[in-house]
Parts: sequence; C-alpha cells; structure tokens
Amino acid sequence: MLQYMIRRLLQIVPVLLIVTLMVFALMLAIPGDPARALVGPGEALDEEQLEIIRKEFNLDKPVLVQYGIWLSKVVRGDFGRSSQYQRPVLDELRTRAWVTLQFGIAAWVLAVVIAVPAGIISAVYRGRALDYIATLISIGGVAIPNFWFGIMAILVFGVYLGWLPAQGYVNIFEDPIEGLRHMILPVFALGITSCALIMRQTRSAMLEVLAQDYVRTARAKGMSEPVVIGVHALRNALLPVVTVFGLQTGRIFAGAVVIETVFGIPGMGNFMVLAIFARDFMVVQGGVLIMALAVLSANLLTDLIYAWLDPRIRYND
Amino acid sequence: MKHMKRTLWTRSLVLLLAAISLFDCGRSADKPDADGVVVEAPSADSGPPSYGGHIRAAYTSEPTSLDPVLGRSGGDTYYWRQMFDNLVDVDRDLNPRPSTSLASSWDISMDPHSITFHLREGVKFHDGTPFNAEAVKFNIERILDPATLATPRPSFAVIDSVDALDELTVRFNLKGPWGAGLNMLADRGGVMSSPTAIKKYGKEYGWNPVGTGPFKLKKFIAGASVNMERNDDYWGKDEEGNPLPYLDELTVNVIKDETVLSSALRAGEIEVAYLPYKDVTAFERDDRFQIEVMEGGRISVVLCFNIDMPPFDNVDLRRAAGYAINAAAMNKAVFFDRAVVADSGMWPTGSLAHNPDVPRPYYDLDEARKYLRAGGKPDGFEFTAVTWNNPALVPSTEVVRAMLKKIGINMEIEVLNVGSATDAFFHTTQYPLYVTQWSRYPEPDWLASLSYKSDGYYNAANLKRPDVDLLVEKGASLYDPADRIKVYAELDALILDEAWFVPILYGTVYATAPHKVRNLDRLLASDAKMDLTRLWLTK
Repeated sequence: MLQYMIRRLLQIVPVLLIVTLMVFALMLAIPGDPARALVGPGEALDEEQLEIIRKEFNLDKPVLVQYGIWLSKVVRGDFGRSSQYQRPVLDELRTRAWVTLQFGIAAWVLAVVIAVPAGIISAVYRGRALDYIATLISIGGVAIPNFWFGIMAILVFGVYLGWLPAQGYVNIFEDPIEGLRHMILPVFALGITSCALIMRQTRSAMLEVLAQDYVRTARAKGMSEPVVIGVHALRNALLPVVTVFGLQTGRIFAGAVVIETVFGIPGMGNFMVLAIFARDFMVVQGGVLIMALAVLSANLLTDLIYAWLDPRIRYND
Repeated sequence: MKHMKRTLWTRSLVLLLAAISLFDCGRSADKPDADGVVVEAPSADSGPPSYGGHIRAAYTSEPTSLDPVLGRSGGDTYYWRQMFDNLVDVDRDLNPRPSTSLASSWDISMDPHSITFHLREGVKFHDGTPFNAEAVKFNIERILDPATLATPRPSFAVIDSVDALDELTVRFNLKGPWGAGLNMLADRGGVMSSPTAIKKYGKEYGWNPVGTGPFKLKKFIAGASVNMERNDDYWGKDEEGNPLPYLDELTVNVIKDETVLSSALRAGEIEVAYLPYKDVTAFERDDRFQIEVMEGGRISVVLCFNIDMPPFDNVDLRRAAGYAINAAAMNKAVFFDRAVVADSGMWPTGSLAHNPDVPRPYYDLDEARKYLRAGGKPDGFEFTAVTWNNPALVPSTEVVRAMLKKIGINMEIEVLNVGSATDAFFHTTQYPLYVTQWSRYPEPDWLASLSYKSDGYYNAANLKRPDVDLLVEKGASLYDPADRIKVYAELDALILDEAWFVPILYGTVYATAPHKVRNLDRLLASDAKMDLTRLWLTK
C-alpha cells in the first residue's frame, strides 16, 4: 500500500508542471498590453508609470524567463502580489481558499450523507413510492441549475420566511451559530447536484450488486437484510460511487463560483473569475495551481480509497 | 405495506402543497397595494438626529484597495470615502465647500501660478498624528512619484512642487493656471492619508487605511465587507453644530448579485443600497422603503467611435449611426424605462458642464439615411463593434445592431471582458466602435483631458487635433466656473457634431433605505457615489 501511495504521489509532479505551463500560456494568449491590463479598466496611468509596472512584473523579459522567475518563487511560497488588490497573492488565496474549502467540504459531506442512504433505500425499495420520490428529487437535483436553486432558497427561507440569512458570510470559528446559519442555504445549493448524481450512482450500483449470486447466497444463509445490504452489498456497490465522489471535487469548485456570487461569500471561486477578468496574472496563476492541487489531491484520495476498498487495485497496478 | 405506501403518498402530497403555498405566499408579499398607489415616504427629517446604531450598506463590487490613490476601481470610493476627508470638498453642483474641507480657505495666485491652502486647525488622523502642511506635502508628492503608481497622477501633471510654508499653510506651485484644480482635489487625489501610517505599513497600507474621516476601519474581510466604527475625535459638525457622524458603526457589504441585493434589503440584512432597475417598481410600491433619485449618475450606453479607423473615419457615417439609434426604445427594452434619453454629451444631467441645448443626433431615420448618402454609402456597410460582458450592455448592443440594420448597416458584435474590450478599442485599436458605459466624473476636465486630448488615455485615434487640445487646456486652466462652462459647451458641441462619443442613455441612481434611516437625501455625493457620514437611525 505504501509503495502504491508513493507511486501515485510521484505521478502528480509532472501533471502539476504541465498545469503551470498551460496556465502561463493561457495568460499570454490574452490580447493587449499586459501592463495596461494590470492597471485595470476605467483607470489611466501615464507611460512612465506603465514602464514601472512592466519592470515590476518582469513583463519586459522573455516569456520563458518570466515563467522561470515565477516558478522559482512559487516553490519558495512566493506567489507575487495581486495587481488588483495589491496584497500578497498567497495571503489573498489562503483566506479565500479556506472559505471555499469550508463550504466545499460541508457540501460534500451533505451530499454523501443524504445521497448514499437515499440511493440504498431507493435500490432496496425499487419500483415503490420511495424510489419514485427519490428519483424525482434526484432528477430535479441534476436538472435545476444551482444558482437558480440558490436564489429561490434565498427568496423562500431568507426573504419570505426569514428563517435563515439571505446572504453574507460569518466565520464559523468566530461565531459558530451565526456561521452555521449562514452556511445552510449555500451548502444545500452547492451540494444538491452532486447529491443527486451520487444518489443515482449509488442506486444503480446497489441494484447491480443486489442481483449478484453472492447476495442471494447470503440471503439464503439466513442473514438479516441489514447485514446483507450493509456488510456484503454496500462495500462492493461503493466502488463506482467513490469514482463519482472524486469527480465531484472539480464540480464543487466550479459550483462555488456561482454560489459564492449568489450568496456573497468571499471565497475563491468568485475571486478567480474576477481575477481572470481583470487579468490579474499572479492571482490566476496561483489560484489555478491551488485548484489543480485540490483536484489532484481529491483524485489521489479517491484512488487510495479504491485501493482500500478493493485490494486487487493496489496489487495489480 | 399498502397502508405505508398510501401514507407516504399523502405525506409527499402535503409536502408538495406546502412548497407551493410557500412560493405563493412569497408572491403575495411582493404585490403592490390593491390600487397600485405609491405610498409617500414620511418626511425624512423630523426632529433632531439621534446618535448611535449601526447601518449596513451594500455595493456590487469589492474594493481593490482602501487607499484612495492606489485603488484600481472607481467603486472603491463607496468604502474609503467614509474614512477620509479631502483637502477640498465640493457640493453636488461642484461648488467648493470650505466648511466640509480640510482646507478652511485658499488663495489663488496667477503670477506665479500657485494655490495656497490654509488648513483646518486641530484635525488629527485616526492614529493620533496631526494633520498639517507636511502631511499635505507628503500626500501630493506621493501621488506625483511615478513609482507609487497612483491613479490621480495624470490629472496632477500641472503641479510643479509643494511647499509647506508653516504648520497650517501649504502652497502648490503650478506650471500654469489650474481652474480644474479645486475639483480635482475634491476627487481621489485630494484625499489625505496619514504619512506615519503610509510609512509604517508600506505596501500593506491599502488595507490599513488611516485618514481623518468620520469613521475608522474596524475590520476588513476580503471580498465580504468593510466594517467601520465612529471616529470620536472627528472634527466635522452638521449645520446645527452637532458633532458628526451620528452612527456608532458602519458596514459596507459586498453583494455582487443584483437579485440577492434586493432580497437582502427586503430581509432587513442591509439598510442602504442602490437598486437594480428591474426592482425599482417593486420597491416604489413597498411602503417600507424610501427612494432617493439622482439623474445622470452615469452614462448607461455610449457609442465611442475610433475616428481614425474605417468606416468611421468618415464623419458622415458616424453621424448616420448616431441618428439611427432610438434611445427611448432601448430604454424600454433594456433598462425598464428607468434610464434617461441622453440630451447632451459626455457630461450627464446634473453635472457642471451638462448642456441640454447642444445640438446632437437624435433618432431620425431620414436624417440617418441622408448622412449615409453624404458619406458615400447609401446602401449601408459592414463592420464589427466591440462591447463587454455587462448584463445591460450586451442586450443594448444587440438593440444597436437591430437599429443600424434598418438603414442597411450590418454590425457584427464581439463581446469581451471589460479590460480586454477597453484595451482592444482604446489602445490596440482593433475596432471602429465601442459600445460601453461611463462613470460620472463631476470635474469636466477629468473626461476632457483623458478622452478628447490628442494624447489622452481614452482617445482611441490619438489624432492631432490642435483645436480640440486648445479647448481642453483652456477649460482646465480657467478659474471662473462660468467661463469654464462656456468652453466646455463649445467642446461638447464639437464632439457631438463630429460624433466621436455619442451618449445614448444617461443612468439614474435609485438609492433606497427603510424609513428608519434618515437623511437619505444627503447620501449621494457629487460623483453619485455614497457618502454615509450624515445618515442616522431613528430609535
């Protein structure tokens, strides 16, 4: 298992390098004078000031040199300064990524806690009312765009019922109750699509496993239904579920862009979109790197869970 | 089992009905009064102001810096203005107002050219250091230093040097007359920061601002809010001599989604915000809220032509396009009829140089066709325009396309983000037409020298036009506002006649708050941005 882990970890390095190169190339492809772009729209600096910006951001150097300078700084933890926000990129990303992470993890947990049992129930009670309701909800969950769900949730629970805050962010570690209250709606809006997908996946995987001979044998041995499902069927049914689960990390980051805008959460998703619009090079590069790291870590975790669930993987790979 | 099934069905039906009724009750809460009467707000100022309380305002974009001279977005003003004062403050009509300025008086000299400011006594920065002539000198020299990358620097080019004559007297030595100077000092460049704090925080000063203003920074959450507390040592007083500000605490929240902004107002999570056009009618009918209106708060849609690029290097074709646009129809289609049809040039309603009598293109298809013929393209032509991905601009540009089509002009549209679009039009000059919006800059020279002067940052063609340059320089140098207005009227007429910049719609600001917020009529400053100093809450 250890060897497997090390091998998987080493595989991440070239992927990360390719990611940094691609991000750098993308930023270069954007038309226009980068020094002017760094000033931001609606602002005017004179040529003398622009020249200082070119020097400060190494825009006067060849592209490969720029990339080299940037990479050498990054490995030392220096991501540069945001041209828009004039703060160190690392500080900016650290606070924002932490916020996104809180909501992401909560949405993840919520999705799994609801989806896996619901999927199991749906499979076990296949063709009955519970199954139809679960199917209806999950189709809705996939079909409804999460920004619309978010706005509707704000309207119903925030404005008309007044049960929950309509928007805003409170640090959960400073004020746990208010923080939690502010998290409920966005976490639901963020997690609902993943929840629906994981539930569909659990249901079909479970149905497949339940039709296997060994399940029939277990039942024939006289095992109780909870043991058959919980012990024998579930572990095998979870394999494809874990795949979906891993893929959802990327989705949750993508969803965060929308949900953070709708709920006014100072996370990384929205910040990255603004940085791209403002051509805030340093932030985009640092941010994409961190997101890539997060997705790679989630994939790694998925692979490790795989190996734990199914020993064949770690030996054959 | 069958019984269980039925119970389940019944339960889900009940849930469904409950959900429907929720939505329905939601809708009814939004309905206007049965007779549709707009309820009048009670008088805004009844009785003396009461002190204390916390107002939460909101704005749609987050601050790029709380240092006024380093910010990269005009929207930063909503945040920093509450913590700073200007060397010169102006009223909404751009009259300098010494009573609210850090300089209590000033003398203008024509030979040699200079302005000497006499500073207010006893003013302290939030860090306890005194505001004095050295502080003014430090602030201005910081802007003039190109390495600071201060945005107001180009507008301060006329300042040669600054001398601190004594503790409370400071002289700006000028390279020439500077009639625009007092107004420019009422903008970002004239904001006074604590030199001690700037030196102490260095590059981090932008998030540790220290001014002399009515509020001081308490807590800043990146991307979410700026929280401020009362500056108990504030020097400002209201007209009755009561100390300002009235509030104990102030928060400006970032809410980027317009629909959510309106929801937050209704839910009572914020008190003060500018309404999105789509919600103005609903709020007018909601008797919980008062609305303060300011026309000309911005230019909502403007056609900017590159006068050096075919096909619009031909003045008649630019005019043809100008006459082909039905502004009133666009207002209805895109702006819920809440904007105002532009009746002048780039200085919108309510600004100093606004001149509604200037001849300009209005919707007239016959006239448009006449100019097409005069421009040698009676059957129309093709070109590609650029705009940026703003929810109002994209449909507006589509409306422009449909209207130009009527006189045979086929326009392709390219939508970029705001930075790329601005760059592609003004600096790399890839498009002959840019459909965009423009902020309201109260001081006319801000726009004139940036957009009309041949070396202006927002002059796409950068053609040498000595006649235009002369007018721009003259306008900026004259000290008498009446003389300046005459020059700008001439400039406005020239620009509109040659159709460089053809504004289509002026925006209107609808500021709203519940009735417990008082002095809402004092909220909008000369640049249509928020000044929350004088708001107070009823107990």
